[in-house]
Amino acid sequence: MADDGSPGSTGGSVVVPIESTPTLRATVTHLAESAAAGEFSAIHFVVFATWRDGDPETADREASVDRLLERVSTWAEADLADVDDVDVGDVEVVTTVVGGDEYLFGADDYVRELVAYADDNGIEHVVLDPEYTPVGNTTLLQSLEFALSRTDLVVREAPVARPTRRERLRKEATGIRFAAMFGLSLAFYLALGDPLYPFDVVTGVASAAVVAITLSRVSFDADPSPTRTPMRLLRGAVYVPALLLEILKSNLVVARVILDPRLPIEPSLNRVRVIVGSGLPVTTLANSITLTPGTLTVRARDGNLYVHSLIPWARDGLFDGSLERWTRFVFYGREAARLPTPRERDDVGIFQGPDATEEYPGARADGGSEREGAPVADGSAADADGSAADTDATGDDSDGADTTAGGDGEVTTE
Amino acid sequence: MIDALGPVRLALIVVFGLCGLFFTFVSMTGVLRLPDVYSRAHTASQADTLGAGFTLAAVALAAGWDGAGFKTVLLLFFIFVTNPTAAHAIARAAFEEGIVPWTEGDERR
Repeated sequence: MADDGSPGSTGGSVVVPIESTPTLRATVTHLAESAAAGEFSAIHFVVFATWRDGDPETADREASVDRLLERVSTWAEADLADVDDVDVGDVEVVTTVVGGDEYLFGADDYVRELVAYADDNGIEHVVLDPEYTPVGNTTLLQSLEFALSRTDLVVREAPVARPTRRERLRKEATGIRFAAMFGLSLAFYLALGDPLYPFDVVTGVASAAVVAITLSRVSFDADPSPTRTPMRLLRGAVYVPALLLEILKSNLVVARVILDPRLPIEPSLNRVRVIVGSGLPVTTLANSITLTPGTLTVRARDGNLYVHSLIPWARDGLFDGSLERWTRFVFYGREAARLPTPRERDDVGIFQGPDATEEYPGARADGGSEREGAPVADGSAADADGSAADTDATGDDSDGADTTAGGDGEVTTE
Repeated sequence: MIDALGPVRLALIVVFGLCGLFFTFVSMTGVLRLPDVYSRAHTASQADTLGAGFTLAAVALAAGWDGAGFKTVLLLFFIFVTNPTAAHAIARAAFEEGIVPWTEGDERR
């Protein structure tokens, strides 16, 4: 394995996926010290793009990621300079963004990107920031450690002090997310009960507090903004009648097909690459597609929605992208709505039937299986072995649930 | 109770109720006639969207704009959120199991 280390190195390279966490600073220090001790000759800090190039708001997110990478790079150089007995020039610090060409939906997607990056750069080691949680809501995701344990990479977690659980909960639970969750729950409770009846108010406050404490971390992956959220709700209110009309129209068409004695259906599985932004927007779009009879979202993978269509009419409607356009309108306003349709962008594919344009995708073409043919790593360090066994044991019984949770169920709040 | 509703409202209630019945019937027919799990999932969601949609609209009209009518509208909202999620879960499970959608010429499953 040593022969594919980076050129001229003794210690090999390490890749560190990062995001802004409380322990990031300490992790950088740990890496600088390890590198100074001769363990690594190059440190690659990578950020996974949570957007796809061309999404609305790409520029904003890129700017904030660039700031993060710049900060990390500065820290690493400062830490390396602090260590007396090493020449700073010996250790290379690389910062980069990966994954900008597709949406990443679960731990498997992240690991695939990470492995691809490591292969391209001859990297064998991964160091994880203990607080690193891609997508922000780890409770719903298969653990990154488990997915990584099935690859050739040597993984370890940076041994840095973590903030205690209590601090973390308090930190996450205060602020605007908590307030929004609390307000929403209380409003819903009182809408069902009687706002003037003191018993309902007291129990409502208690219930809303429980809901907000337990779910505000899970339900939001970004702070609701006081200017943008009301605009989105307003535009959403415009969208609902349009969606209902669309549903009514397709229902009538599909009803005619079903009641026709010849049953003239022509089902096919199709692919459409959508540009709406990950998280809530893509969930909204996938659900809208499913709500419209004749089209059914089967899978969201690699930035594509796999959509089953019952009749060619429904498929054409899908490729014309009116729902995609509406979703962009709801989340980003009028400007973003004006993009070419999926058909014009050539972001579509048909897997089945007489018009098929692409080969039918296997059910398990993602994540683990593509690594199966690769030789098993022989040089995994003893400590990595131990932790891999641990995650294996816990990962096994929840595997089935995890693979489904990775996709679209992450954002639940309206 | 019916006397108090007024003729227009009563007519609307009847029309909505019949529409709901019609789409539920279509949906049931579809589940029986269509050939595989994916196409059945399409039509099963029809019963929820317009079948339940029209029926609940009729209920909301009958109940009026007090507590019950409002709750019916909320119910409708939640059906519209949960229905596609459930349909997606079924379709996705089928896809993960490697079930290839039916195409022209296949056998019914």
